[in-house]
Amino acid sequence: MTPDPLNRLVAELAKLPGIGEKTAQRLAFHILRAPPEYARDLSKAVLEVVEKVRLCSRCFALTEADLCPLCLDPRRDESALCVVEGIADQMAIEKTREFKGRYHVLHGVLSPLDGVGPDQLRLKELLTRLEDGRVEEVIVATNPDIEGEATALYLTRLLKPMGLKVSRIAQGLPMGGDLEFADPATLARALSGRREL
Amino acid sequence: MRLLALALEDFRNLAAVDLCPGPRVTIAVGSNGQGKTNLLEAVYFLATLKPLRAGRLAELVRFGADRARVSGRFELKGAERQISVEVSQGAKAAFVDGKRAATLEDYFGGVSVVAFTPDDLATVKGGPDDRRRLVDRAVFNRFPAFLEESRAYARALKNRNRLLRDRTGGAVQEAFDATLCRAAARVWTRRLALLAELAPRTAKAFEAIGRTAAPAELNYRAAHLSLDLARASEAERAAALAEALAARLPRDVERGFTSVGPHADDLEVRLGSRLARAYASQGQQRALVLAWKVAEIENLRAALGYLPLLLLDDVSSELDPERNAYLMAYLADSGAQVFLSTTDASLVKRAAGPDTRWLTVQAGVVSSLAGP
Repeated sequence: MTPDPLNRLVAELAKLPGIGEKTAQRLAFHILRAPPEYARDLSKAVLEVVEKVRLCSRCFALTEADLCPLCLDPRRDESALCVVEGIADQMAIEKTREFKGRYHVLHGVLSPLDGVGPDQLRLKELLTRLEDGRVEEVIVATNPDIEGEATALYLTRLLKPMGLKVSRIAQGLPMGGDLEFADPATLARALSGRREL
Repeated sequence: MRLLALALEDFRNLAAVDLCPGPRVTIAVGSNGQGKTNLLEAVYFLATLKPLRAGRLAELVRFGADRARVSGRFELKGAERQISVEVSQGAKAAFVDGKRAATLEDYFGGVSVVAFTPDDLATVKGGPDDRRRLVDRAVFNRFPAFLEESRAYARALKNRNRLLRDRTGGAVQEAFDATLCRAAARVWTRRLALLAELAPRTAKAFEAIGRTAAPAELNYRAAHLSLDLARASEAERAAALAEALAARLPRDVERGFTSVGPHADDLEVRLGSRLARAYASQGQQRALVLAWKVAEIENLRAALGYLPLLLLDDVSSELDPERNAYLMAYLADSGAQVFLSTTDASLVKRAAGPDTRWLTVQAGVVSSLAGP
């Protein structure tokens, strides 16, 4: 019989995505065997992430303050706004260090099958943001699947009449990747979208 | 591509099978309900990861067992590969040389098998959905990208139908309509490209077996569209659908279902000026499907440079002697690796040669037969 506190920890860990019962047990034993400071630091970190991290009131990315560092950074280009589905997408684009503008995180895409409509996304906030007229181009960087495409089209219809330039990120083969490893649908699309050199 | 060895464990009613197929023809003989079709289905499942007959994956596992396993040694592009598929608890897993593989497409190079079952023979007479399935199966084999593309269309359609039922309307509806049109245009492009290749080949094969003066014609009929799809560009196809969707919107909202698009289309089969569905005899209808299958095999050979595995499930007993003789002669001459099942060995003798492997299937047990 394992003591109840250990059982509770295993049960909580096993609720995490990608963690099964066995892994949860291994993690719990690791925490138990580690110096007590580790458990204290871990629990503090877990608590702080929910208590201190919130959504930026302008772009809805993660932040500790009211506005996120990206929204506060005066070096960012105010005229370009990149609209993404989620925080992970924003982080991926930011990692490229290619984009100098600002972001807007929708926190989802239109998906009738999942019951997600415009009101469940940060769309109203996007429109409010655009009112001040500083943004000239909106780059729609939603995923190239059905829901992402529909959301991009929806945004285009919404934003074009406001006199904004709306662009969509390109699709095709990954850089540095081997052609042979691309899936057939991507490869087919890349072929049909070929350019003359 | 050759299947060199095949082993099954608890697949449908087959508890344990271990056999070496013939280099060309393998024939499974047995009465109905003994497991002949299951043996063929195992090969189909191994090569496509899909069950041959509709149903849940769990049905592939023998009653009372907790997992089914099919494995085969293939000769692929000059190398030998051990490929296996397991089904347990409703999920499947594929392995190549003992290593887990997400898809077998990379190994088989897209196409791998063409199956021909008694169900196929009813296609001409059956509903439009049967004919769409016949077309789409051939499209999957010919254009591997179609798998993703048809899934995208199905998802777009589901989304739109949900919007119709919720009576959402407005800009959200318009956005999903436009997405649906793009995905639909892609499906049309694929289906029409396949038909452009297959229609002349089918007509030619039918000429040989049809015993009919009137030529076989295949036309793609897009429901509720006035545009001649075959002559239009992909963008024009999308635009035509957008127009039809808008015109039919009130009706579609009323029914909660999208009434126009590739999912509502049909393959029109004609004998000269007459619709085969209504006017062709049963023998002619079966000959049409046989011609289609032969055309599909020939087309794949022309496009890929090699023949897929052919699986024929008890087809001979459904064909008249002359057409069956044509099919058997075709198989014998094709050089393809063929798996046949039959209740009557004499029906398929013509396809057999000295290197043919004869099997009997009885109550889930497969054993060797010296040859009838």
